Amino acid sequence: MRLGFPVKVLGQPGLRSHDSRRWQNRPHLSVSLAYLRDTILYLERQDIRMYRMASDLAPYVVHPDLPEFHSQIEDCHAELAVVGEMATECDLRLSFHLPLTSVLNARDETVAQRSAQMATAHARILEAMGLGPEAAIVIHVGGLYGDRDAALARFVQYHERLPPLVRRRLVLENDDKRFSVSDITWVHERTGIPLVFDYLHFRNFNPQGLCMVEALERCLGSWPAGVTPKIHFSSPRTAMRIIDRKASQSGSRESIMRAPRTLQHSDFVDPFQFADFLRECERFAPRGFDVMIEAKAKDLALLHLRQHMSRIDPARDCRVGN
Amino acid sequence: MINSHRDFEIARDQGWYRIPCERAPSRVGADYLAFYQTKLFEEERWAVNYYAPIRRYRVLSRRTLLPHETEHPRASAPYYKIEIGALRRLPRGIPSWRLRRVTFIPTTLERLLTAEEINDLWCGTTDEEELWRAFKEGGVSAERRYPLREADEHYTVDFALFCQNGRVAVCIGSEAIVENVRIIREYPLIDDYEAAALGWTIVRLDRLGVAEPPGACLQRILQAAENLGGVAGTPAEG
Repeated sequence: MRLGFPVKVLGQPGLRSHDSRRWQNRPHLSVSLAYLRDTILYLERQDIRMYRMASDLAPYVVHPDLPEFHSQIEDCHAELAVVGEMATECDLRLSFHLPLTSVLNARDETVAQRSAQMATAHARILEAMGLGPEAAIVIHVGGLYGDRDAALARFVQYHERLPPLVRRRLVLENDDKRFSVSDITWVHERTGIPLVFDYLHFRNFNPQGLCMVEALERCLGSWPAGVTPKIHFSSPRTAMRIIDRKASQSGSRESIMRAPRTLQHSDFVDPFQFADFLRECERFAPRGFDVMIEAKAKDLALLHLRQHMSRIDPARDCRVGN
Repeated sequence: MINSHRDFEIARDQGWYRIPCERAPSRVGADYLAFYQTKLFEEERWAVNYYAPIRRYRVLSRRTLLPHETEHPRASAPYYKIEIGALRRLPRGIPSWRLRRVTFIPTTLERLLTAEEINDLWCGTTDEEELWRAFKEGGVSAERRYPLREADEHYTVDFALFCQNGRVAVCIGSEAIVENVRIIREYPLIDDYEAAALGWTIVRLDRLGVAEPPGACLQRILQAAENLGGVAGTPAEG
């Protein structure tokens, strides 16, 4: 089992996930790839074997008003191959998560098309890196627009229009208030798209009342044979939130305290909760999987979890650490 | 680092710099590139004087980059070609007082524009920065992130003080931004035996201001330096 984390590295200050300069300063995919190369070296040092790359790796690559950025992927084929080879040598599973602005099932055709272009650009990056089928692009179903059935049907319809290059890479995640595991299973049955089980989303949004193991089994079973499924795991935030805001009357800054919402990710992962989850999976789930840790402390949360797992569940440590 | 007029001209006139992939440091990604010039550059020597925005990285063979040097032993080896914009002069040059040949320092643009000397460029932990400030305020000459090599092992010490009769290495205990999450360092801290074998006296510090107040830490370092005849001045041209 691999453990991974998304995008931002906190364990080494100054290590960037991508070229975030504004378009006026001419950011470039090759600069992002240089950052990615540095990140891979860091991950190798920490024995981390899964990582989600920044969705802005190729800056402005499909921006309609900035055509000068559109050819970056072709221009960087050599550099993409070098970094991809490096990841493969490190046994590093790489992935993308499309930004939330990408809505494949959008009712507005322009938005849907631009989202498809975004997915295509990400798929082309993974192809140019020479990565295998485990290098996936995670998406959500998208907009609900007040009609669940129509929204799901539109996703299926638009999915069929995507080039095979993209369909090979896309995987679909349950979310925390619109589309449940049952909904994405419906999509899988019509498209074959593999499903990503998100633990926290499932706990927050499960209107059909599926039991956890059943939901997990559905998702794991949707992946093709020979490709290790991946899931997302996070603990809900439990700490008080301190909100800094402008007072409506006086206009001065004030701090207010708010109780956490269960949708929010915590800074670190509760190791007892994770150990219990793995124990339950081991009893019932049919196949192994990799785990993307979604916590605010990013790589530090992963390293912290690994440290604690080796203490509270030493028999499992070899799986979690490697 | 630029150690030939030809490479400087390439950077200035053709807008690129090269690093052999095999010897590239752990950090090559950056928005800007600044150049440390060696003694060859006379008035501009031993200092960082220029910087430029990075436009593009390519991976090319040395032969492609320098087609007139096809007989070079590394002609087929891959290099990073870093394409840059026009060179900009820093408001003031950043000297290396000990004439240390600086190869790569990852830093921020803000530090680059405000640094008084090369050691100001390092971005350290809070403890490291605090101690560096104390050294500067006390007029103590020290080198940060000083590399040591013993056989095949590479080490770094957080600070090196060069004394009349020996050398003091200062190692700060804290390693991570979150104190109790273990991060594997790129270069391990040297242990006392290895350091002694290389002629260094080690001063180890726990987290400043927690286990030991900063003033006491500084006194301990200065005492170790005093035992070795005191911190030496800037070395002669090397």
